Amino acid sequence: AEVEETLKRIQAHRGVVATMVVNAEGIPIRTTLDNSTTVQYAGLLHQLTMKARSTVRDIDPQNDLTFLRIRSKKHEIMVAPDKEYLLIVIQNPCE
Amino acid sequence: MQGPAGGRRPPLVRQGSGASSGSQRRTSILSGIYANKAASCRSLSTTSDGKAVDRASLVGNKYATRVFDDEGKDVTPRPLFRSDPNTVVPRQGKLLASSAYFGATGSGFLSSFSMHQTSGVNGSLGSFSRTYGSSSTSLSNASTTESVLDEIVEPGSRQDTAVSLSDVQVRQEEIKEWTKEDLGRRVDIYLTETETIWILDMPSVVVSVESEDAGRVLEQNRIYVDICKNRPGNDRFVEKMMQTINGAAKNKEVQCDKIIMEDKGMLVTSWDLYDSFNVSEIEPTSKAEGSRATTGKSSKSHTAKEHNQTMLVSSNRGSTTSSLMISESAVLARIHEEEECHSEAILTSENFQQNLFFMERILMENIFQPKLAAYRQFPVLIDPDVTSDMSGTVAAVKEAKQEEHDKEKKDKEEQKDAFVDPSILSDLNKTPEEIVPPRLEWLWSYICDLTNGHSVSSMAWSKVNPDLLAVGYGAFDCKEQKKGLACCWSLKNPMWPERIFRCEHGVTALDFSMASPNLLAVGMYDGSVTIYNVRSCNDTALLDSSESSNKHTGPVWQMRWVEQDRGATGDGKKERLICISADGRITEWFIQKRLDCIDLMKIKRTESEKKKLPGEKERKREALISQQAAGMCFDFHPKGPVYKVAWNPFSTDMFLSCSADWSIILWHQDSQTPILTFSSATAFVHDVMWSPKSACIFAAVNESRVEIWDLSASILNPVTSCFANPRVKFTSVLFAENTDCLLVGDSKGEVSVFELQNLAAPNNNKVGTLHDIIGPAVAI
Repeated sequence: AEVEETLKRIQAHRGVVATMVVNAEGIPIRTTLDNSTTVQYAGLLHQLTMKARSTVRDIDPQNDLTFLRIRSKKHEIMVAPDKEYLLIVIQNPCE
Repeated sequence: MQGPAGGRRPPLVRQGSGASSGSQRRTSILSGIYANKAASCRSLSTTSDGKAVDRASLVGNKYATRVFDDEGKDVTPRPLFRSDPNTVVPRQGKLLASSAYFGATGSGFLSSFSMHQTSGVNGSLGSFSRTYGSSSTSLSNASTTESVLDEIVEPGSRQDTAVSLSDVQVRQEEIKEWTKEDLGRRVDIYLTETETIWILDMPSVVVSVESEDAGRVLEQNRIYVDICKNRPGNDRFVEKMMQTINGAAKNKEVQCDKIIMEDKGMLVTSWDLYDSFNVSEIEPTSKAEGSRATTGKSSKSHTAKEHNQTMLVSSNRGSTTSSLMISESAVLARIHEEEECHSEAILTSENFQQNLFFMERILMENIFQPKLAAYRQFPVLIDPDVTSDMSGTVAAVKEAKQEEHDKEKKDKEEQKDAFVDPSILSDLNKTPEEIVPPRLEWLWSYICDLTNGHSVSSMAWSKVNPDLLAVGYGAFDCKEQKKGLACCWSLKNPMWPERIFRCEHGVTALDFSMASPNLLAVGMYDGSVTIYNVRSCNDTALLDSSESSNKHTGPVWQMRWVEQDRGATGDGKKERLICISADGRITEWFIQKRLDCIDLMKIKRTESEKKKLPGEKERKREALISQQAAGMCFDFHPKGPVYKVAWNPFSTDMFLSCSADWSIILWHQDSQTPILTFSSATAFVHDVMWSPKSACIFAAVNESRVEIWDLSASILNPVTSCFANPRVKFTSVLFAENTDCLLVGDSKGEVSVFELQNLAAPNNNKVGTLHDIIGPAVAI
């Protein structure tokens, strides 16, 4: 319930383009985009998250990746990775 | 060995070297190889009888050489072949037998053993042993020869893999304990020349014409030519063919299992190794979703334990990185019927909630970053990629900055409505002035749907976390009472409060505790006091005063946690909760199982009809006493109810009070009459507060404006003020401790954060200034 509320609030934020929750296989659990785009995002970001996590842990194995932000010209993609899922939010930081 | 053997040799043997081709051949084979000039113990041959053992032992000890490397470690190459000690015994017999055998063949080779050779054949015969074993035609010969020869092996030579059994036996037997005398004993070494060893002998086929045999040879040649001429067609030469018997070839087939080769690639990373080491230490956490997790995981962890030194075999997903968790979840995800509950589990998992929480905060940060930076008094960074076509806060801030830089400033009287619509900022375009007067700039508002409609009644900062704000919401007017709300807002999330506590009655006062900073005391309209634990998200109160028999009967207007020095009792500082309510009692509450209170003092009412009583703000324990005095002061002052009293944080004997009679009054502790009166608008002044940074600045909020007064600048007019939305009334004001910001609460439930800009630099010495200012007033 609280989770739902928070999700809704995030989705309703200023500038949030999309919110997605995908599981480890890339199957969307919650998404505000269409399925194909979601799957595409999930696949690409999953790989990137793996690489980022590998990088972080290579430097210090006791460390771990908690959050990933990619800032581009148009959007900011924020990924909260976990063992079982990926939480992705795409925001337009300008508006 | 040699000695007795040699003794039995007939001396004739010497010529045997040239004699029969058979024996010669054997010799050549025997003499096979290399002239290794071993300086070592050919002494075997020269000395006779009994010393043989010694020689042998000498020789044998040559095998006991050891090789040491630089560090003194023993790196003697170990023999590649270890024999059975059982077969050592017949060695002696064999040797004798072999020598007898040799004698029988009359091999010229053995002549080398004969002792009586003055020139003696010596022994690089030791070298024979090596290749002889492999190339010999008669095996028994080989073995015996070897056994004989091997004693002569010089130390530096390599041990042959083809060394036969007896070899090793010899070596092992010969090793015996050396004593010091043995080492120091004089050893005689005899060097002699060996006999010429014929390796290849090809007699020439050309004979000189002048030799004796020439005639004979010629004759033979002629006869041969004749024979060749006569051969074809001659009856004496018949061609005949023969069939040779070919031995039957036998094929043998063997079948074996196909050897399956697989290539496996693996990316090994240091965290991978770390994980595999730690897997055995981490307990397999059973996932709530189902039992599949435990079985899958335990099997994986077993494999991990086995392979913890080597690379983990990746799961059959084909990915090259191996990770227990990933492979496990892949296995899990394949179970289709559990997928649904799996996704549900994800959504409800704690990690997910936490991630959502972070995500929200980060979103907030993105949106509010310029504002937050201004709050913290960092320079506001302008994102170069940000396209400038949006209205709103960023643009407003930029323009505001530009305005400042361009020194376009407005007059004090024409303060812009920064609060309402930031875009109005751009409209103002005044002539530049030299000095930029202070102004308020709206940063953001704490507002959400939940609080909409409630009126802000009180605000308090957390003592420990300067970014945590508690706001109490209650109905503004006494007539309508709704359910109240106390919310904790964090700087990091201006759009949703961190904690929401719902109260039955409107909240009128609240305060954070200092000693246990997670306690928030809330006073309500019906006079009850509750204490909440901010750490938990629970809505329920920690302690409630509703059971107390002594509670207030009127609304609680002010409450404070007061820290006291109890030097006498030796308890150190203790904190007490003190509150004041409309029933005229100041009570102290004890936090035990239930909240209970005792009266500290009663405030008398005199002449004026006060509907509400003043709240007090105490800095120290002894302030209580002056409270009493102040109480009396108050009796005289207001024509309307006094809403707030505030001590000057820098000067201990002055305080302000604000009341519904549109005025703010500065009092001095000792005098019974006001020192200074400030009034600027015809509106109730709801709240007043000194600035924590300067002794001369305070903020007051009346229904339509928030005003900043700077006594050092002017005592007649506020330095700056900010208008509110026409529908909204300001109800409370609070300074931020660590930054130049002001929080203003209004009757719509919104708490706006304003930044004070260009205010006169806070000077700690303002107390003196303050006294100077009021000096004339006091004197009057």
